[in-house]
Amino acid sequence: MFEQFAAGARAAVASAVDEAALRGDRRIGTEHLLLGVLHEPGAVRALGAGLDSARAALDDLDRTALAAVGVDAQGVERAPLPVSRKRAPFTSGARAVLPRALVETRRAGSRRIAPEHLLLALLDCERPDPVAEVMTRLGTDRAAVRAHLRRTES
Amino acid sequence: METRELSERLRSHDPAVGLRAVGALRRLAEQVEAAAVERAREQGWSWEQIGDALGVSRQSVHAKYGK
Repeated sequence: MFEQFAAGARAAVASAVDEAALRGDRRIGTEHLLLGVLHEPGAVRALGAGLDSARAALDDLDRTALAAVGVDAQGVERAPLPVSRKRAPFTSGARAVLPRALVETRRAGSRRIAPEHLLLALLDCERPDPVAEVMTRLGTDRAAVRAHLRRTES
Repeated sequence: METRELSERLRSHDPAVGLRAVGALRRLAEQVEAAAVERAREQGWSWEQIGDALGVSRQSVHAKYGK
């Protein structure tokens, strides 16, 4: 699968793995793929939101969820987790994004998967997929982003 | 009850919120553990004492945090 990735998409997936590790998540999910894609300037332009605001949206979702079970973790001392030697697996949602990105690549008449194709596939994720929650929190107009991406690729 | 609080309570029946909370609690526990272990080491605790406090073996704490 990854041999069909252009350099930008490869970098985006590698960044997604880093983002998951940074957060202490054990699996690479669609939300991390979005953060990874947002390391690419073209994706930031298309989405109209940058890496920092996407990270903040994800933290905000966590804060709200913790508040719903009565936990306020603000001001609690936290340290980064020790680096795990095990490679984090992809969630089933994240695995499902890859073939859909390939479909977007073919549709665009490209030979290799670019970050924009990953973003198009992520835009199609529905709740309860975490990336859909992040995009809702970001106020993403999915139809507009999709149209923008399709326009610029042709 | 504030609107925000009310809406959060209503939302807590949403499984997406409950499941996300579990993930966030797990991560929080790990990060608090990492911070506390670091402090304990700074203050001269042995791996054995830290393991006892966490309810795990000395070896498993050392394997996780020992450099």
